[in-house]
Amino acid sequence: MSVRDLSGNRRWLAFGALCLWFLFTIFPLYWVAITSFKAPPDVVGGPTYLPFVDFQPTIKAWTDLLSGLRGEFYSNFWSSAIVAVSSAMFATLLGAMAAYALVRFPFKVRLLSGVLFFVVAMGGFLLGRDVLGIAPASASIIAFTGALALSVFANRFPLPGKVLGNDDIVFWFVSQRLFPPIVVAFALFLLYTEMGKLGFKMTDTYLGLTLAYVAFSLPIVVWLMRDFISALPLEVEEAAMVDNVPHWRIFFGIVLPMSRPGLIATFVITLAFTWNEFLFALFLTNSEWQTLPVLIAGQNSQRGDEWWAISAAALVAIVPMIIVAGLLGRLMRSGLLSGAVK
Amino acid sequence: MNRDDPIKYFFLWPAFLVVLAMAIFPLIYSLANSFMSLRLVPPMPARFVGLDNYADLLSNPRFWQTVKTTSIIAFISVAFQFVIGFGVALALVKRVRGADFFRTAFLLPMLVAPVAVALVARQILNPSMGPLNQVATFFGFPNLPYLTEANWAMGSLIAVEIWQWTPFVILLILAGLQGLPDDVYEAAELEGASSWQQFWSITFPMMLPISAAVIFIRIVESFKIIDTVFVMTGGGPGIATETLTLFAYQEGFKKFNLGYTSALSFLFLAVVLILSLVYLALLKPYLEKYK
Repeated sequence: MSVRDLSGNRRWLAFGALCLWFLFTIFPLYWVAITSFKAPPDVVGGPTYLPFVDFQPTIKAWTDLLSGLRGEFYSNFWSSAIVAVSSAMFATLLGAMAAYALVRFPFKVRLLSGVLFFVVAMGGFLLGRDVLGIAPASASIIAFTGALALSVFANRFPLPGKVLGNDDIVFWFVSQRLFPPIVVAFALFLLYTEMGKLGFKMTDTYLGLTLAYVAFSLPIVVWLMRDFISALPLEVEEAAMVDNVPHWRIFFGIVLPMSRPGLIATFVITLAFTWNEFLFALFLTNSEWQTLPVLIAGQNSQRGDEWWAISAAALVAIVPMIIVAGLLGRLMRSGLLSGAVK
Repeated sequence: MNRDDPIKYFFLWPAFLVVLAMAIFPLIYSLANSFMSLRLVPPMPARFVGLDNYADLLSNPRFWQTVKTTSIIAFISVAFQFVIGFGVALALVKRVRGADFFRTAFLLPMLVAPVAVALVARQILNPSMGPLNQVATFFGFPNLPYLTEANWAMGSLIAVEIWQWTPFVILLILAGLQGLPDDVYEAAELEGASSWQQFWSITFPMMLPISAAVIFIRIVESFKIIDTVFVMTGGGPGIATETLTLFAYQEGFKKFNLGYTSALSFLFLAVVLILSLVYLALLKPYLEKYK
């Protein structure tokens, strides 16, 4: 007997416990599914549980929803789909590139140049906006580029203080997840509004939302992809390097194809995050690029107890992710994710 | 082999720039604003007020109330998530019938949009038309105020959090359990250790590092909770279930008090950082003991 085997009664006990948890897990999903097929009296008149037994299913809620009777439904669905899929793709690609660089090449960042960036960015912004009276958006762009250029330049010199290596850079990426997103969401909302005043529209645009999602998915992507890439055998790459194949071709031609399972898993995890995300969408979009979660959150106050309609709308957000769950389950079974959680 | 090709910057910089511009710079921008008195509606020129915003917040009972609410939700729900998730993962790792099916099914809640979950929860918890009320009525407790009385509403939110995020614990703990070596258990078996003893002296200590990581991630993520609360209770009744993020949203988006909101989000960040440091410090001796 080991951790993996059970015998006799205990086997049935474990099975029973799993069934119990399964019921708890599945009931809300079952409930939303059947409610979307109920007619109003079957909802308002108290709970009904079994289609064809205690209520007669109808597809009225679905036809209402799909015929556009419920407002801008299609537009929300497509903006959700476009933003979620493309930002997950960009994040996976950029994150994989960064992870590759961090696994295979040494980097050195001086702590002091990081501090310099912070001081110059903040000081420059305050100076520009409040002393020189430049528009906030221009002030922040100038402060940001100035601080970046200065700290990159400063990093070339042997400054005193700690030198940060690759592990510190990975930690820097991952530590972004520690920050409450409201800090950034609110600041981005303000920055986007200021950019709008300069004639560069960022709120409620594809670019604005996607950039925010990419930035917020990157920490997880870098973290996961680093494990996947460092698990790859070095020999193939070394052979290619002996033949003087340039690095970008090694990456796109060898590393990416070899880490395909990892890329897929990372993409799926990122997609689940970008598809369901609520806070950034709430702050950064309002009509044209509003996503499904924001639309669904609004259903409650708009429709009160029209649960059949609310359920149908909620299901549209839920079903794509259930398909994703099936995918993820298959990947897990092949033991693919076990390496990533060390 | 020369691994110092300048092309490495081409690989790292896009990701680095996006995070720097979209996450770090807004943070700095917020920090700068948090020392200002700044309003959008009615528009007011920026005025430097130093730490006034912070002092205001620290003496605002509503801030402390939201810290308390958020902590209660985070700690209680994560405790349940961990215990249940560990148990389910232990059962799944044994070769029980249907384990493959359960494994996939148990992942589902984690992938459902929290706003959708909250809407479903509202239907199930409805005090007159919901199925839970029918069950409770059967046992003699009709029309309980699941979402309209402070303690009940907190309980409901915690239950929803447990439903949604236990899968995350299951996923990671299961991956950890699958990596445990078999020979230790075989040796323990030969020594005649009961399965209870085996759990406490082998499984649990060996799973401690990953458990610590899972709990840490869950607590940090739970502190960010807004979607579920936003839809289920809107922070109500009164402000009884208002969380930190929701409070910041109300202040920022409804009152447009920018400096104040920025200070609030930095205090929020401080709360999370302090908690993380305390957690890591408390855990360190145990992690080293079992290393």
